[in-house]
Amino acid sequence: MKNAYLWLAQLVTGILVAVTLGIHMVWMHLDNILSALGIDANEPTSWSSMIQRSRDIVWATLYIALLAFVLYHALYGLRNILFELVQSRGIRRAVTWGILAFGILAFAWGTYVPVILLIK
Amino acid sequence: MREPHPKRKNYLGIMGWIWGGNYRIERYLYTLHRVTGLGILLFFLVHLCVTTFFRMQQQSWEAAMEILHNPWFKLGEYLVVLAFAYHSLNGLRLIIQELGFGMGKPAPPIYPYRDSLRKSRRWSMALVGTAALIALVFLYDFLVGG
Amino acid sequence: MKELSSKNITFKIRRYNPEKSNKTHFATFVVPTTRGMTVLDALLYIKENLDSTLAFRTSCRMAICGSCGMLINKYPHLACHTQIEELKTKTVTVEPLPNLPVIKDLVVDLSPLFEKHKLVKPYIIRADRPEMDNPTAEFAQSPEELESFLQFTYCVKCGICISACPTSATDKQFLGPQALAQCYRYCTDSRDDGERERFLLADSENGIWHCHLAGACSDACPKGVDPALAIQLLKRQLVARATNLLGKRELTPLVTPPVHSKPKLPFPQFTVNDKTDAREG
Repeated sequence: MKNAYLWLAQLVTGILVAVTLGIHMVWMHLDNILSALGIDANEPTSWSSMIQRSRDIVWATLYIALLAFVLYHALYGLRNILFELVQSRGIRRAVTWGILAFGILAFAWGTYVPVILLIK
Repeated sequence: MREPHPKRKNYLGIMGWIWGGNYRIERYLYTLHRVTGLGILLFFLVHLCVTTFFRMQQQSWEAAMEILHNPWFKLGEYLVVLAFAYHSLNGLRLIIQELGFGMGKPAPPIYPYRDSLRKSRRWSMALVGTAALIALVFLYDFLVGG
Repeated sequence: MKELSSKNITFKIRRYNPEKSNKTHFATFVVPTTRGMTVLDALLYIKENLDSTLAFRTSCRMAICGSCGMLINKYPHLACHTQIEELKTKTVTVEPLPNLPVIKDLVVDLSPLFEKHKLVKPYIIRADRPEMDNPTAEFAQSPEELESFLQFTYCVKCGICISACPTSATDKQFLGPQALAQCYRYCTDSRDDGERERFLLADSENGIWHCHLAGACSDACPKGVDPALAIQLLKRQLVARATNLLGKRELTPLVTPPVHSKPKLPFPQFTVNDKTDAREG
């Protein structure tokens, strides 16, 4: 039942991405509406605002979680599309390992930067 | 057994993902789901590079943000919001229906046939349609925020 | 009484003859059609009167045999089940079903479909093998249990769902809507214990997880079988088994005792006696 678990993880990460990315999108793009509601997003793309969020443990955790969810959801989806294009077992195996390696690298790089900013 | 003559391969290929004939709306939502998914993945990779490589120094970050505040990039960002709104709500519909909820029970096929997707189309399309509402809210902020 | 009016309709048919050329071309025929005439009737008219070399497969003329599936005006349908009048066009394009190899003209090779259908073991598998081979009584089933899969038994194996499926358009190894729907049909049958064997196949890399609910199979199915529904219910069943969370887990007992609400009926006598039959000897 290996593929059933992988597929189920795709659904679960899909919901989690919708929630976490929803928070991220609302915070980054709806700053005018948020300030009208009394929440100060502090010009979200400015340097001070970015550093402030990076130092905040809640925001840093949210972003790292979002990164993990998005990477799984997107790369599993990409693997699905690629599997429908190639049928050879060898290429399929190479696709799986390539995507896995890329995902781990992207996750390592994407967490390394916020973590050192959090500590600094 | 020897095959006297080669058979013609007649696979639609990738065009078969896009073109579908006179099928119902779900077939095209499927294509759009794929396109938006790949689009968001592409944006995400660029976004990951931008937000990690330029965040070490204040000057480089502010220089990068200066470029990204260009109206064309704003339009691009809005397209990502649209893609996200559609992909998440259609994804929610797919999760519900692929787990067999709201699909109804097997029914005796009596002509004219009504398949399970057709029976639930009213509410499933209402669910996907709320993406337009989300898009409008974000459009307001993009216009006000400049 | 109003007389049946005849209308000339142009038929554009994609021809392919490997004996002559590897290329396909469109042949045009003008067919006088009357009300109630089907596309198959027009093809038969062409074969009888205009061009006897036209190849297509047909048998029953009443949507039972599943032979005459073809792409009519870019939509897969049974030719015998499509009236020319309902197409509402002056030109009718007829092509072989896509996503299946073409042998000649409109004749497609359905063996990939049959092979995949065979793979899902489309027959009752019992845990009690001796009972399955030599039944002593009927395998009882309630009407509700029958209705849970009855719709999916109407499949005529015409290959239309496969030509409608976007996944089958690129993935030659994908089991396809037909086989997956039949997989669910047997797995949900209360008389069957073969779930584990079939789930292994449905869960494989060419299996059910490449269905993304485009819904085209159910839309095009000429028999109202609704393969998309069967596949989504099979997904639910697989997830329920994998997580042990959703739905009820019914452990199939090693020996399924048939419910004997009525006195046992003796097995009917064979009208033809075969000496090699194990039952006799």
